[in-house]
Order: sequence, then structure tokens, then C-alpha cells
Amino acid sequence: MGFNARDAVSEFWASHISKLGVALLVGLFAISIYVFASYPLDFGTRYWNSPQHWADYPKAVPPAWTQTFTSQKKPIHTTLVSENPTIRTTGIRSIEFDINFDFRYDDFPQFTSFSISELTHWDDPPIVYVSLVRPDGREVENLLEIAIPFPSADAEPPFTKYVNVPFRTYLPGSPVVHHAVSSFLRKEFDMALTPSEIGRTGPEQFIFGAPDDDGEFTTVLKGSYTLKVRFETFHQDDTVDSIKFVVGGKVFGIMGTDILGRDLAVGLLFGFPVALFIGLLTSTLTTVVGSVLGIMSGYMGGKTDNLIQRVSDVMNNLPQLPILIFLVFLLGQNIWNIILVLVIFGWSGLTILVRSMVLQAKEEQFIEASVAVGANSRWIMARHIFPQVAPFVFTQMIFYTPSAILAEAALSFLGLGDPSLPTWGQILERGFQTGAIFLGYWWWIIPPGLLIVVTALCFVFIAQGLEPVVNPRLRRMR
Amino acid sequence: MKLGRSLLMKGLSLLFVVIVTLFLMNLILGATGFSDRMLTALVNDQVRIQRQTLSQTIQDPVELQRIVDQLEETLIQAYGLDKPWPMRLPQMIWRVMSFDLGHAKTAQTFRGSTLIKDLIMERLPKTVLLITTSVAISAILGLTIGTKIATKPGSRLDRFFSNYSAFSYAIPTWWTGIVFILIFAQTLRILPANGMYSTPPPTVPVARFLDLLWHAILPISTLVLALSGSWIYLTRTMVLNTAQQDFVNVARAKGLPENLVMRRYIIRVAAPPILTNVILGLASSLAGAILTETVFGWPGMGLLYWNAIVTVDEGLIIALTFIYTVIYVVARMILEILYVILDPRVRY
Repeated sequence: MGFNARDAVSEFWASHISKLGVALLVGLFAISIYVFASYPLDFGTRYWNSPQHWADYPKAVPPAWTQTFTSQKKPIHTTLVSENPTIRTTGIRSIEFDINFDFRYDDFPQFTSFSISELTHWDDPPIVYVSLVRPDGREVENLLEIAIPFPSADAEPPFTKYVNVPFRTYLPGSPVVHHAVSSFLRKEFDMALTPSEIGRTGPEQFIFGAPDDDGEFTTVLKGSYTLKVRFETFHQDDTVDSIKFVVGGKVFGIMGTDILGRDLAVGLLFGFPVALFIGLLTSTLTTVVGSVLGIMSGYMGGKTDNLIQRVSDVMNNLPQLPILIFLVFLLGQNIWNIILVLVIFGWSGLTILVRSMVLQAKEEQFIEASVAVGANSRWIMARHIFPQVAPFVFTQMIFYTPSAILAEAALSFLGLGDPSLPTWGQILERGFQTGAIFLGYWWWIIPPGLLIVVTALCFVFIAQGLEPVVNPRLRRMR
Repeated sequence: MKLGRSLLMKGLSLLFVVIVTLFLMNLILGATGFSDRMLTALVNDQVRIQRQTLSQTIQDPVELQRIVDQLEETLIQAYGLDKPWPMRLPQMIWRVMSFDLGHAKTAQTFRGSTLIKDLIMERLPKTVLLITTSVAISAILGLTIGTKIATKPGSRLDRFFSNYSAFSYAIPTWWTGIVFILIFAQTLRILPANGMYSTPPPTVPVARFLDLLWHAILPISTLVLALSGSWIYLTRTMVLNTAQQDFVNVARAKGLPENLVMRRYIIRVAAPPILTNVILGLASSLAGAILTETVFGWPGMGLLYWNAIVTVDEGLIIALTFIYTVIYVVARMILEILYVILDPRVRY
């Protein structure tokens, strides 16, 4: 089993499959390092699983690039923030924000929302009036009238509110908006629609639309809109830091969003380091345990051999997934438990293979010579036996990586993933459970699966490239 | 004689596996407190039922309570709940072996029984049907395609199937299923996405069978796609390895026809190692079937597994883990027997 490192590298590099595998691996690592550097470690609990964080995102909309294939342009998600109020001191003191924006799409927004951040008042809280001036010159007056809640009786001024969590109003769900739109329609178009009728159909088509000849609001009024926000204050020192108006798109980002509005691109990116971590850690631990036990079993023989072989025989005779389900279910859905169980039930196959290789290797003369000059067995195992099985063990490690990734994905798909650590499998599971297949949300289902496939394939390719290097008999076959 | 002995040894070692698994499962159940919880639930269940029947005959509430308490005491003793869990191990092992694990939380059989034993018995054949059909189709595909491409190593067909097997290994079975549903059931609308029969199922036997076939197309194709890759690749590699041996060259030199050489000199010799690898791949077939059932709502034990996870049904999970271990061991035993038949060296 002569082994020359330089030959091995050139042999490996000769095949296209190895090159492709290595290129993919470099890409996977580059993305993972980027994500690791830019994401907080508690991303799962702090952002991904917090519905509040995704409140202002559109729900279950396809990626924005799908627009290139249609002539009907759907609205792209727009977040408008204003931090520069004008203060009017004539008459009632008021803080005013104006936001101009263009809306030139062929479809209405999915929703609109309005938020206030960092409001400070010294006396009674200000009253907020929001109006929208449309491109046709008509104005939806007092679209929103917000009464800011009073501070508790024992609090002392100044009262500063909404610093971390903005005060948010979701327009389609607000009765005030339904009333305002109803009176707007009566005044401007002489149409009688009750607020609850508007609540049922959603106010967007009336706010952003113009009636056709039949009085149906089906066409979008394209042009520039102005949102006018006025805080009527009761104290001259009251301030508002910023306001935000969100025009919910019907397409979003490069990967779209799920039913909770989560930006799938963000979640999918986070899956890269997690998948590599699970795959590589599990395969490394598994091969270390498997090869150490295999070498011991093969070289030492006797009782050690018997014991290790009995145990690995039992382990090797167990159906992995059911046992995995059983243990993770009982021990708790935690990434360390999953890795631990994968290692415990993964080493046995390798041990059996390594043992049979060691049995051959230990018959070689230079080992007999080592024994004769009095080298101890640990030294022989580490210096003489291990190098002979190392290339094979390394290939097995590469080959085991995708199966660890796939096993975690399978567990996640069955609902046993670690909830604090979003993985591709979990994103798919959420999609499947929400019925994304039957609702046609393909962007929620296809990309995570493809990423699992690409990651797994990367390691399969490298393992395939290594195979003829390790097993020279295969060389003639290619 | 030796044949019987080697099979017996295999059988015993597999039986040993089942026993060790049972023992370890119960050890974990006991140590994590699951067995206590489960048995307490069983006792409470029975006490509740008894109280209802007794309350119709015994009017005095004090008397009723006394009898119910007495009953509970007996039950606690009968189930061994008054003793620490290690003492209950043998009883618990027997309980798992006989599927005497009480009622499932939500799942029920077609006739409405929620007994875990009934559930397993109803679902078992459906899972076996799915797995055996898919494995049989994959085996046939693997053996025919594998031997065919092995005759022309490096050809375009050979490279295609090498890549195919790499993909087949890397694609999660359940994702293939989902993509199939998206394409064939949602977009093209030509195949059903869910279940084993239409609702309501046809009553005429022939129509019923055709309906079953119709529903089985997608799940079975999914599993075959996942399993056939390794079958093809293994057959190819083993056949190729054997084809390079000297005795094959001798056979060819003798002028034997090529298909005879293939059948008698190559496949005959390559069969045992192929089978060995099939045995090693059995676990992934089982896993694939569990996930495929979940995706396609195939009412077998895999779907039951998913149901048990979602409803946090410990009893059901224990029963399923055990039955899957048994199925696995039985399947391995069948393959071991096949192995002995195929490889004369084991016999003599």
C-alpha cells in the first residue's frame, strides 16, 4: 500500500468531478464564513423565530426576479422612513412629516403599515393624523387617527416611548382606516360602501386605485403619492424621532418570503454554516471513533477485539432513523443531542472495515520488525498502522459528511430539528406543514432542498474523486 | 450441516440485537422517567373507566371512592409503579414486545380503535407493501442496468449512471417526493398527491386495485429514484471488479459466448458482494420509506411516526421504534439466507 502524496494530489486533481467538488466546497466555506462573521449567534431565537421581527415584511410572496417574466408588474416591497420633521408653531404646535413616493405598479400593495419610533412627550400624548394625497389630487383625509396611550399615573415626564419596539399600526386591520376610506369614497366618488365591507375586501384597492366605468376599483392609480403625518402636541418640547410607512410588496428580495413574512434569503444563508458544522463535526467525530476502535480491534485482537466487534455488530444492525427519532424525541431537540446520536450510531460500519484492513496490514514485515525491537503497541498503531488506513479513513470521512447533513435534514423534516438553530430542513418542514406545495409557494420548497442537494453533492464529488486515489484498482476503470 | 449452523448463528446474533435494543430502549425510558409517566397514564385511564361503570351500581360516593382507591392501589401494584423503575425492567420489556402500550393520543384505525397494538397491525402491511415493491423494482433496475453499463466502462451511458447514482445519494428522498407532488400533482394534475385510495374508495376489487396502483405511482417512484442509484452503482462496480479477474479471461479465451461468461462467471461471483452492500443499505431504505410515507400521506407506519412526533405520543414512538427494529432484523435475516444460497463458500 505504497502511498505518495504528490501522486495522490495529481491523481485526485485529474478528474473533473474532484475539481467541481473542491470549487463547490470553497464556495460553501466562503458563504459560511461570511454568514458566521455577519450574523449573531442567537439569530434563530432573536430574529428568525420572532414574528415581531418580520411584521413589516410581506407574507408568502415570491422573489422579485420573477417579475422579469411577466408584463404585469407587481409592487416591490418599499419601506419609507422619514427622520426630518418640520415643526409648525403657528396655532397648535405640530410636528409634521411628509413622505413622497412613487407607486407605478400594475397591482395593489399586499398591505400598508405605519410605525412611530421614539416619541417623547412632556404633557398629554400627542394626537397623530395621517393623510394620503393621491396622484389625482384627491386626499384620503385622516386615513389614520392615532390616540397614543396615556402614561401610567405615577410616571414622571418626560415620557419616552417606542424606543426599541415601534408603535405600529397595520392599516388593513384598523377600523379607523375602514371608516376613513368609507367617507373618502362617499365624498370623492359618491359611493356608499360600509366600513365593514371595506374591511372584508381590504382598503388597499380604494386607497391606491381609481374606479372604472362600473365603479369597480381594479386599476391602480399610478403616480406619486404623498403621505402627510401630523403630530398635534400639547407641549413645546415634544419630539418624534422617526416614522415609517411600509408599502407591502407582492414580490420580495431574491428568495421571497414565507407565511410569517420571513425573508427566506436570510434564513437560507444562515443554513450554510449550520449544515457544514453539523456535517463536518459529525463526520470527524464518527471517523475518529470508528478508526480508533477499528485499529484497536484489529491490532490488539483477543478480548478487546471481541468486545468491540460485538458492540459494533449490534450498532450496525440497528435501523438508524427510527433509533434517531426515538432518542432525539426522548433526549430533547437539541443540536448537540442530534450530533451525539449520529456519532454513536455512525461509527460501527467504519470500525468493521478498518479492522479488516488492519488485520492485513499487521502481517507486514516492518511491523513484525518493530515488535521485535520492542516498540509498544500504541506507538505501532499510531506510527505504522494508522498511516496505512489513513487515506481510506479520510475518504470515508468525506463520504459520511453528506449523510450526516441528510440525516439532520430528515429529522428536521419530521419536526425534530433544533428550534433555536434554523436549518434548510426546518425551513422545508415549515413549508410542507403550512401546505406550501398545495398553495404553489414553490420558492419556499425548492431552494432549501436544492441547497441540501448541492452541499451533499459537493462532498460526494470529492469522495468520488478520492476513490481511485485510495483504491488504485479503480484507476483502470475510469 | 454447516449451512444450518451458520444461519443459526446469524439468527442468534440478530435476535441478540433485538434483545439488546429492547433492553437499551427500556433503560433509557426508565432513566428519563418516561416509563413512569406512561404507566401512570395507563393506570389513570383504567381507574377513570372503572369509576364510570362502578358509579352506575354504587350510589354512595364515599363507598365509591373507597372502592376506586382500592382499585387504583391494586393497579399501581400490578403495574409495578410502587417500585423503582429498574425493578420493572422485565415487565416493561415484555410490555414493549407485546405492544401492550395503551392507547394512541389521536391516531386511530379504520375501525376506530386507538389501541397501539391494533394501529401497528393495521399499518404494518401497508408499509411492507411500499418498501418491498420499491426495493424489488430498484433491484431489478440495478441488476439490469448495472451489468449492462459494466460491459462498457467509461461510455456515455456509464458516466450518466455514475452521475445518476451520485445524485440519487445526495437528494433527500422526501424532497424528491415534494418536487414530484409539485410537478405531477399540482402543476400537471395527472397523479394523486395523497393517500392510498381515492375518497370514497372504489368497491369493485379490480377498480380498487387500479386505484391503489394509481396512488402508489408517485411514492414508489420517489423511493425507487432514491434507492436505485446505489443498486446500479454497486452492481456496476462489483461486476467490473469481477470482470477483471483472471478466470474470466480464461473463460473468454476458451471461446465461451459473452452472455454465458457474464451470467456464470461474472454475475454469479459478483452477487454475494452486491448483496452484502444491499444489506448495508437496508437502513436507508427503511428511512426513505418513513419519509416518503410522511410526504405522500401513505397510511403506513412512517406516517404514524410523524403523527406520534407531532402529538408527542410516547407510547406510539416506542412501539414504532421497536417494530421498525424487528422489521429491519427480519429483512436482514432474509438477506442473510439469500447470501448463503448465493455464496457456496459459506456452505462448505
